[in-house]
Amino acid sequence: MGFLKKDNFERDAFIGLIVWIFLLIFYFVIPSPGIHDIIQKVFILGLFAMSLNILIGYLGLVAFGHATFFAAGAYTLGLFLQSSIVNNLGSLSIPAAIISAIFISTVLAAFIGAICIRLKDIYFSFLTLAFQMLIYSIILALVSITGGDQGLMGGFPKPPFLGIDLGKPFDFYAFTIFISIITIVLLRQLIESPFGYGLRMIRDNPDRPAALGFNNQRHKLIAFIIAGSIAGLAGSLQALLDVGAYPEWAFWAKSAEPLFMILLGGMHSFLGPLMGAFIFEILNDFVTANTRYYGLVLGLVILSFVLGLRRGLLDWLLIKFYRK
Amino acid sequence: MKKINKYSRRKFLKTTSAVAAAITINSGFPAILRADNNIKIGVPTILSGRVAQLGISVSNALKMAVNNFNNAGGLDGRNIELIIRDSRAKPDEAARVCRNFINSDKVDAIINAEASGASFAVQEVVRESGTLCLHTVSETSRLTADPSIRTWNAFRFSRQGIHDAVGSASYAATVIKEKGLKTWMSVNPDYAYGRDSDDTFFWALEKFAPGFKILGKGWPKIFQPDYTEVITQIAREKPDAIYTSLWGGDLVSFIDQAALYGIFKNTQLFAINLADYTTMSAVKNLPEGLHSATRYVAAWPNTESNRNYDKSYTDLYGDHPTNWSWEASVGIDYLISAIKEIGSTDNKKIAEYMKGKQKESFMGVGEGNTVKIRESDQTIVDYSIGWGTTVQQDPYMNNIQAANWSTIEALENEWLTDKGWL
Repeated sequence: MGFLKKDNFERDAFIGLIVWIFLLIFYFVIPSPGIHDIIQKVFILGLFAMSLNILIGYLGLVAFGHATFFAAGAYTLGLFLQSSIVNNLGSLSIPAAIISAIFISTVLAAFIGAICIRLKDIYFSFLTLAFQMLIYSIILALVSITGGDQGLMGGFPKPPFLGIDLGKPFDFYAFTIFISIITIVLLRQLIESPFGYGLRMIRDNPDRPAALGFNNQRHKLIAFIIAGSIAGLAGSLQALLDVGAYPEWAFWAKSAEPLFMILLGGMHSFLGPLMGAFIFEILNDFVTANTRYYGLVLGLVILSFVLGLRRGLLDWLLIKFYRK
Repeated sequence: MKKINKYSRRKFLKTTSAVAAAITINSGFPAILRADNNIKIGVPTILSGRVAQLGISVSNALKMAVNNFNNAGGLDGRNIELIIRDSRAKPDEAARVCRNFINSDKVDAIINAEASGASFAVQEVVRESGTLCLHTVSETSRLTADPSIRTWNAFRFSRQGIHDAVGSASYAATVIKEKGLKTWMSVNPDYAYGRDSDDTFFWALEKFAPGFKILGKGWPKIFQPDYTEVITQIAREKPDAIYTSLWGGDLVSFIDQAALYGIFKNTQLFAINLADYTTMSAVKNLPEGLHSATRYVAAWPNTESNRNYDKSYTDLYGDHPTNWSWEASVGIDYLISAIKEIGSTDNKKIAEYMKGKQKESFMGVGEGNTVKIRESDQTIVDYSIGWGTTVQQDPYMNNIQAANWSTIEALENEWLTDKGWL
């Protein structure tokens, strides 16, 4: 167990495995599908928020159009599984659909990123938003392919693969959390790598890494592409959960959700956005079950975090109890 | 002094957060884990934002029926418990709310009161779970017309676009003959419902009164506050008639603004969604003689049972029912009858009971004032569709003509064949 003392891949993978096993046991100890639903949504939204935090927290770029890639992943997966390719691929359909979703989101992020990262500050933010609205309009316009504003209708098959049947609640729960944990572990290696520290340097003082011979633009583009591909993965998992994809996922309001999660959880700790997703999902579940004033409650909670803690919850907890 | 203020604020926020957390823990989770003997019905709907009236009028209608059932002793002492939640019109939220109804609240049935987009999301959830689902509100024909979307456990109790389109076109054809209307324009909201409504209306009008000319089409965005550009286009083209499927506040704004330009002096307006009390009473000076379908008015169908329904609802809530109310009322009425007759909440038995079931209803125009759940596509037919002209005071509608259901179904079949859905 000596490797646990080192901050490396083995340790993260081990912790990830323990968390996964713990959550699998939790599934049987607390047999409440409602709580299982919340947990898998937390991981999906957590991936979405963590991917955005690569840009916001580590690179200092506030992207307003991140849902573009979430929707791209969701629609790619949905359209793939609704197509006749499923008949030929059979049990390989789901892995192939997820890989396609990540691939399309990556390509889209490369294209949009190559243009957006040339700009800074509010100009960058609004250009990402402009691209998002462009994609949103395309989704609405291509009614025969995307279903327009009704979304992808009619569901799609989820053929079992490797003994995993995503139509079964437990399989879906275990699979979603497993994929999310793997992604989070890999993302942590990236963030703690020289590349990750390069991002922080660009955030803190872009002239300095440039003077040291860094290619800032290339770093930013790679970060943008990685963020887009993870958002695409999150979108594909969401589409699998809802058995559909909807244009609302490409609308600007969807991009605000991971921003809220980052605000709630904290942008300066790696797992802050995941905690934000947890708070967001619990709030969502609790507030919609008890009152219709969802916006008011969410606003008050964010206000109390911003004014009271002055940072996200995990950032605050770490400063208070750990990084004293 | 400054320091004291800062301390107090922090203390206040800490206390507030602690109280909020305590409330969350104490009242949130028990709701997830709650279970009892009631017959539970989950209702995903829209209770916030500009169309909150939708969720409110559906909830009112459902509560009225459920209270009557519970006060009469329920099913062997088992009461119906409505669990109504806001989806904020978001499809993924509607799906999540539905999954929670099914998984956590263990509902026996879902009465879906979502708009179109979210209704398709609800359909996918119930397709997977096999939970009995009664769609109210969504008027998009495809929800039940397209066989690939249907599922054995979902039934439609809401109007359907194609039915309304045929009823509208058949009425418009009589006005065309009477007034010699030749040129048309249309103003429809720029989303699926508006586009479908435009397509199907002119498709059906071509069958009844071919030879008209369309001068132009306006596509305002949903919830658009200003219609000047569409209205100036109408003023320029001077069509004999306008068809619109704008609804709610959008229709109110359009009529108010167009009336200022004197548009309705020489142009006949056919507004399919006007004759709903909440809409008509919101128009500042409702012009007389506008044509509208009877969404819901106490004057149509002109029967005692319909007037009684309006009175019971109005006495309870101080406001008239809406189109969404009658749809929810007919839906819950079917469900309650099924539960009473079968003596259980078995979803398969209830689904079998509903298929092809003809039932007396205040909105029924079938034989003996009945509506019917058509077996082939599990959708409501024989509900009242009428068109008439507006008057400024109650009953708001005059000269109402009933649509003929055999004509509607004949043309519906033709339309389904064109679409490849029959």
